Amino acid sequence: MRRVIEGSQAVAEAVRLSGVQVVSAYPITPQTHIVETISDYCEKGEINATFMRMEGEQSCLAALIGAQAMGVRTFTATSSQGLAYMHELLHWASAARLPIVMAEVNRALAPGWNIWTDQTDSLAQRDTGWVQIYCEEGQEVLDSTLIAYRLAEKVNLPVMIVLDAFFLSHTYEPVDIPDEDEAHRFLPPYKPQFRITTADPRSYGALVTPADYMEMRYDISLAMNDVFLQLDDIHAEFSSIFGRTYGPVEALNCEDAEIILLTSGTITSTSRLVVEKLRKQGEKIGLLKARLFRPFPVDAFRNNLKKARKVAVIDRNCSFGAGGIFAQELKAALCNDDVKPLIYSYIAGLGGRDVTPDVIEDIYWKTKSADTPEQESVWIGLKEVSHGR
Amino acid sequence: MTAEIKNRFLIPLSWITTEGNKTGSWRFLRPRFENKTAPCSAGCPAGEDIPLIEMLIAQGEFKEAWETILTENPFPAVCGRVCFHPCEGFCNRGSYDEPIAIHTMERFLADTASRYDFRASATDTPSHKERIAIAGGGPSGLSAAWFLSRLGYQCDVYEASPEVGGVLRWGIPAYRLPKDAFLQDLRHLEEKGVGIVTNKRIDEDFLKDKDDAYSAFIVACGHGKGQKMGIPGEDNPLVIEGLDFLKNIREEKSVGCEGTTAVIGGGNTAIDVARSVIRLGGKAVIYYRRRRGDMPAFDEEIRMALEEGVEIFELLSPAEIRRDNNQLLLSLQKMVVSGEESGRARVVPDGKKQETVRVDRVIRAIGAKPQEAWMNPPDNGADVQRLSHSCLVYKKGQKPVVYAGDLTNETKSVTHAIASGKQAAIALDVLFREGFAAVPKKLDLCRIGNGQAHSIEIYTGGRRKERSSHIVEFSEVNTDYFTFTPRIRPPLLLVEERRRSFNEITLKISAGIAIEEAGRCFNCGLCNGCDNCRLFCPDLAVIKNGEIRTINYDYCKGCGICVVECPRNAMSLEEEENT
Repeated sequence: MRRVIEGSQAVAEAVRLSGVQVVSAYPITPQTHIVETISDYCEKGEINATFMRMEGEQSCLAALIGAQAMGVRTFTATSSQGLAYMHELLHWASAARLPIVMAEVNRALAPGWNIWTDQTDSLAQRDTGWVQIYCEEGQEVLDSTLIAYRLAEKVNLPVMIVLDAFFLSHTYEPVDIPDEDEAHRFLPPYKPQFRITTADPRSYGALVTPADYMEMRYDISLAMNDVFLQLDDIHAEFSSIFGRTYGPVEALNCEDAEIILLTSGTITSTSRLVVEKLRKQGEKIGLLKARLFRPFPVDAFRNNLKKARKVAVIDRNCSFGAGGIFAQELKAALCNDDVKPLIYSYIAGLGGRDVTPDVIEDIYWKTKSADTPEQESVWIGLKEVSHGR
Repeated sequence: MTAEIKNRFLIPLSWITTEGNKTGSWRFLRPRFENKTAPCSAGCPAGEDIPLIEMLIAQGEFKEAWETILTENPFPAVCGRVCFHPCEGFCNRGSYDEPIAIHTMERFLADTASRYDFRASATDTPSHKERIAIAGGGPSGLSAAWFLSRLGYQCDVYEASPEVGGVLRWGIPAYRLPKDAFLQDLRHLEEKGVGIVTNKRIDEDFLKDKDDAYSAFIVACGHGKGQKMGIPGEDNPLVIEGLDFLKNIREEKSVGCEGTTAVIGGGNTAIDVARSVIRLGGKAVIYYRRRRGDMPAFDEEIRMALEEGVEIFELLSPAEIRRDNNQLLLSLQKMVVSGEESGRARVVPDGKKQETVRVDRVIRAIGAKPQEAWMNPPDNGADVQRLSHSCLVYKKGQKPVVYAGDLTNETKSVTHAIASGKQAAIALDVLFREGFAAVPKKLDLCRIGNGQAHSIEIYTGGRRKERSSHIVEFSEVNTDYFTFTPRIRPPLLLVEERRRSFNEITLKISAGIAIEEAGRCFNCGLCNGCDNCRLFCPDLAVIKNGEIRTINYDYCKGCGICVVECPRNAMSLEEEENT
């Protein structure tokens, strides 16, 4: 059924279709509509789940860790400070190999207080062992959430579905909502690979000495690598049932492009207009959308970028002292290749500042005119400010 | 990244229990259960186990609570009324909101004992051959008899009056201590088989024990003789001794109170006299030579006396009394403060200023002394031990004698008299069993929190002996577990009613209120089984077996959470040896 809904509601619809059993939540703008919608569904009986209102995000994830370990499908959603507050337990969830799914709405971190979009919150959690999938529009949000459960439960790692604050979470778009049978065909009920039960008591998560710890961490690393293979299969199956195709990246006009824009999230949609316009003007521009960030899809990036001369990475995030995070990761991934493009790093749109077609076009022209990239990320659209009082 | 990658699955998982990991080996601090001493109990002259009493009341175990008082004090009905409750001044709860109404709780238990006719449980004590004579049936003599009989001795109490009780029976007015309340407590002693001989005035020859009937003597005759003012005109029949005045009232003799009565003095006897005069329809005026704040009478007594219409004039000292027909002319010397002495004002006459008042009688209440000189303990010597509340004398070729009560006590209160009787009893028991020289050391071992009070329970090796002598401080109480709650106030007779009768002023409280009040008690240093130690232990190392809790040191890491979360400091944390 096709309906015009918010990105937040697209998440909630997917969670409803997933047959989730335990949901925990603590409100934070702009995540609120997601859990409000789910709590409505729980109230009306359209979702048959225990909805737990917690006293904070750390407890939200702790509760899900407990619930998931009991062998049920779980969900939570958060943003910004809330995600930061979960940090310790993000590690716990992945190391305990619990396939929890979380929606994370990108929002800037304080201070100054800012509720608008910015990817630094989720990217700061890149080392926690969570799979991260960045979405561009409502349909992708819904589909990716269903895919997330399949993937998480296959590799036994938690998955974060990431969407931009407001530009995606609060924007209404037409979304195809699968019926329940279709959804269940793609995502059957959860069969845990292990679960806590009094019938067979065991202790989980206890002390591990240096003799064994490293192997456990290596297994997480192997599971992350396995994501690429599993995701290919899951994407293929998804496509066969629903007719929509996804990959770790999405390439547009990359085959013959000299300059490729690398984007994620809603900036991608805007960039599509720019590519269309500049192509008409004869520019050899391409667009590569990064969907999967963890694990980092090195092969997919390499294959799509190897023929280009230049890549302009637009980061709506910053690792202070190191620059745009997608750019860093891309440079690291390609640095040992014999043939590789020059990588130009741009920071734009922090704290929800608009990244308009003009901004993106400006980035293209800057990239084209510079023979070599700046060492550091170039900040786009900075105003003159007076630091006096 | 190859096709061979499988979803390997290594997680920290164990089929055996975590008991294999004996985390106790990490420990360098060792918690342990250690009951300690509550400041109230160390501050109680009779050494009552107040934290336990309050705990038992809070649990509704009223008989056990009452018997816990009896262990250290045979007079709960008396002390629940007339004790000046120094315990409450030491109460740690006073640093939080208001002290526990310990005094009211004691009265409640006595009332409950009376209502349900509680009888003191018989305790099996070995009986000894020694028999002890006690001269004086006041609170110290009767207490000595109680503790001696509990230690297995036969005692005979000799009393000059027709009934025992001393100040309890003949001194303190009925509105503070009704006769029935005293008789209620006296019954335990009678049931213990203490011999009581009344109307028998003792003289010095008594100590010579010509019939060889006794192994030891206790002299506890009290201070029954009023002190004189030493002023001209004092030997007038209209100048009356306060103690005699009070005794006449208790003997139900008629005493004249018409007109104005001048009361000289600032102690409790002076207040008792003045308030009695008011009740008998007279006008009472107290003249005190120092300032009102220097009066040794209890503040509460002074406050109620003023409420009832007693007038108090300060800094006036009697100088001369003259007869004028049926009245007296009392000359008073104005005094001025010239400095401080032991916390009170030092006063000197203010030159010439004198004033004269016309009164119908003067009642003198400026202190008392022994009836006869032989009642005073002898001077120091090798055969004399001056103890904190008594004096033990064991002269060669004579029977041991203990002087007790007001004869030896610095503070002349009922509770100190009880403490004195207890000390006399313990001293004699030690003397009989281990000899004269062992007495001070043995007494030392049964002090409460290394203070002035002694415990018979500690002396006889009861469970209280296991408690540390450390007195719990307020900072050691975890007040997170307590909420601000006002202290109860017992109901009182209306002042109009007080002025016209000797009916008891302080009324009863209900069991529900008593349980609530006792529930405010921190129970400093005493485990009440709240189970916080076990519930908070992150290693499940506190083991509960019935009501007994132990620590499993195989797993206790010494984190100390149990000690911190113990609301009442009934646990201690110490460094491990050999670390």
